Amino acid sequence: MTGAPPLLAVSGVSKSYGAYRALTDFDFTVEAGQSVSVIGENGAGKSTLAKILAGAIRPDSGTIALEGEEVHFSTPRDAIKRGVAFIPQELAYLPNLSVADNILVGAWPNRFGITNRRMTVVKATEEARRFGIDLDVARPMARLKLGERQIVEIVKALARRARLMVLDEPTASLSDQESKILFSVLKNLNRQGVGIVYISHRMDEVYRFSDRVDVLRNGVHVASVSPSNTTPAQLIEYMLGQAGEQLPASGEVTAKEPRLSLMGWQAEGVPSLRGVDLEVRSGEIVGVFGLRGAGQELVAEGLAGLHGHIRGDVVVKGRRGRVFGTPRQARRAGISYVPAERKREGLVLSMSIQANLTLLVLRQISRFGIRLATLERRRAAELARRLNIRYRSLDQRTGDLSGGNQQKVLVGSRLASRPTIFVLQEPTRGVDVGARVEIHKFLRELAQGGAAIVLVTSDVEEAVVVSDRLVIMRDGAIVGELAASRKTQAQALALATAA
Amino acid sequence: MAEEGRSTAESGVAASLGAMARPMLRGQILDRSIQFLGIGTFYVVILIFFSFAEPNFLQYSNAINILSAVSVLGIVAVGQAIAIVSGGFDLSVSGTLPLGAVAYAAIVNRPTGVLQATLLVLLLGAAIGLGNGLIINKIGINPLITTLGTLSIGAGLAFVFTNGITTPLKDLNTGIWGNTAFAGITYDVIALVVIGIVSFLVLRYTTFGRAVYAIGGNREAARLAGIRVDLVSTVVYMISGALAAFAGEVVTSQLLAGSATVGGAAALSSIAAVILGGAALTGGEGGIVGTLLGVLILGTIADGMALMHVASFYQQIATGAVLLLAVGFGRLRQLLGGRH
Repeated sequence: MTGAPPLLAVSGVSKSYGAYRALTDFDFTVEAGQSVSVIGENGAGKSTLAKILAGAIRPDSGTIALEGEEVHFSTPRDAIKRGVAFIPQELAYLPNLSVADNILVGAWPNRFGITNRRMTVVKATEEARRFGIDLDVARPMARLKLGERQIVEIVKALARRARLMVLDEPTASLSDQESKILFSVLKNLNRQGVGIVYISHRMDEVYRFSDRVDVLRNGVHVASVSPSNTTPAQLIEYMLGQAGEQLPASGEVTAKEPRLSLMGWQAEGVPSLRGVDLEVRSGEIVGVFGLRGAGQELVAEGLAGLHGHIRGDVVVKGRRGRVFGTPRQARRAGISYVPAERKREGLVLSMSIQANLTLLVLRQISRFGIRLATLERRRAAELARRLNIRYRSLDQRTGDLSGGNQQKVLVGSRLASRPTIFVLQEPTRGVDVGARVEIHKFLRELAQGGAAIVLVTSDVEEAVVVSDRLVIMRDGAIVGELAASRKTQAQALALATAA
Repeated sequence: MAEEGRSTAESGVAASLGAMARPMLRGQILDRSIQFLGIGTFYVVILIFFSFAEPNFLQYSNAINILSAVSVLGIVAVGQAIAIVSGGFDLSVSGTLPLGAVAYAAIVNRPTGVLQATLLVLLLGAAIGLGNGLIINKIGINPLITTLGTLSIGAGLAFVFTNGITTPLKDLNTGIWGNTAFAGITYDVIALVVIGIVSFLVLRYTTFGRAVYAIGGNREAARLAGIRVDLVSTVVYMISGALAAFAGEVVTSQLLAGSATVGGAAALSSIAAVILGGAALTGGEGGIVGTLLGVLILGTIADGMALMHVASFYQQIATGAVLLLAVGFGRLRQLLGGRH
């Protein structure tokens, strides 16, 4: 190595949210032309790191230097000016404008404020060509495929003279073909001296692409290794560490007949389903684990009646029918669904805790359309107690509760109808550890009480700890099943990442 | 020693938690009433101002005047409130109202009984609401655009039916809503009070009312919870339409003639009243009590300024300023209170 300072040097960076330490004393360098992967479980601190580099949040302590010069980003604009580009998972672009307009956004070629369409096209094409990227820049952004939009975002960053690019799980919703194109673009950028920080949890990509792998666990930098002399098993061990939540073993599942069966579920598109069969019996929790986009979310949403386009059959208590076309059909079959996005799909935050808890059983708590106040209060209080929801008053706005308590209200509302089949999607995403353990315990109790539970999750710890039987999905198909006694997080991850 | 120190610390925490619980609960109740308190105080200030500025203001007959004057807007605003709480809008009230007005005159002049005529007018309004509801929920056109379209159609139809000619009521007894019931109180005021109470009860105590708040607060969550959002929303527009048509009938009663030129300001005034009453334009919040307070504020300002012989264009300016002031004040309180 020469004495030249590295492109990016992060030292001693920490960030806390209240008592929660998202990132602790993080040290890290990236050389020009180097690709570094940052991997870790959900909540390990990857996104915090990305946001700090992008200037979206400020670290509590520590320094960041670009080519030896210390920088302080207080807004994303500062980071962009210094040549650091962040490509988030959810792209932010202007769908109504052309590709060229998007690439040159804010710096459109103009004379006295009058833009020049032809110049815009010429300049945008130039920017793309500079890095060997072929793009038809005259097309409207909205017509592009997801992978192409990502590449446009990259060209946009390059047009702003980015020297360091931070990508947050860029392939999460790309097809294989699109991912390949993206990687070849990134490799090409490397050759031209652009540094790349690549945040992921897909093992296969890490191996295909990066010069170095850095592992985060609970906000701590636990390893910095070269992929060529590290096995996937070692990386997974770094990611998981030891310790973790323990749940009491569930009882023997006595039922022989499945209460719920999925038969030959097929769906085109991204994500896709390629012949999924699944059986769930009374008294067991079947975990369905996969990385984001592996198709497990389609299984959950299909059971909830949200995807009429899925082909295949469902058997509930011996009665066979097509995949549910509407949420009502699913509910009539006795399935209760806890959606992943509690704020968007689950709760009415402007309403009271009580109103949310009884939202699904309005008919049961009323006569001739008039709500029976005492009955409603009793039902709500009972649910709140069972789920150990902490509140000042049942009339409190649900939006004022903490995330964990909101999630408990959501689970409670889905439980009000006393379902026999319970489908949950990411039930503890964005929930504090305490509430997470409580929700897990609660699911176990529910199963012991005879419910058939499908737990769909992309959280490997949750998948392994909570489920009695764990099914692993990858690219729209079930690639493995781990029985109660023989499941480990490492095995589950290995199957899901094709490591 | 150390053991003892810890246990006192713990009990200290427990005690302070217990002490916190009660004021918090009180804060909760305060929280709920504060939105009315704010606008209530505002109303009181207006009342005090006019009582000093205009000696004739603080009289029973003037109170009756105000109530009678706001009855039409009040009836429309109740429907508007339900529409806005459900996450929608109903601009078409300004078309439905004149249509109801001319239809009532035409029907009772045939002659037809007041009861049948009223039922027909309600049906007409509900039918327009049904149209709105179906277009909004089944075709998926934005409520603002949909009701802007039906507003124009309704207002136009009212002129087409009457050729723009005002139709006097042949039998003046058919204009019953303008008649006095007792102690100077007219039937239009009674109608508003009854409609207000019934809608309040429906919104607060029925499953339908709960569903209206749910679809306004989060339509997707309500749909996933099994609420028939399209149906609920359509019924909401039917109610709003029926009330607007009925308000037209009340206007005809007051004027003793059916005119196609009435109700043009109803849409915007009713929205202003609902917002004054603490509703969120995005839906899910607000209610009847606040809305009626909003209506009273608008009516009182108009009445007070008329008594003071202020020209009506100044009234318009004052009304706009009051709306911005009241809503801006609420927003300021939110910002200062640190609630998002």
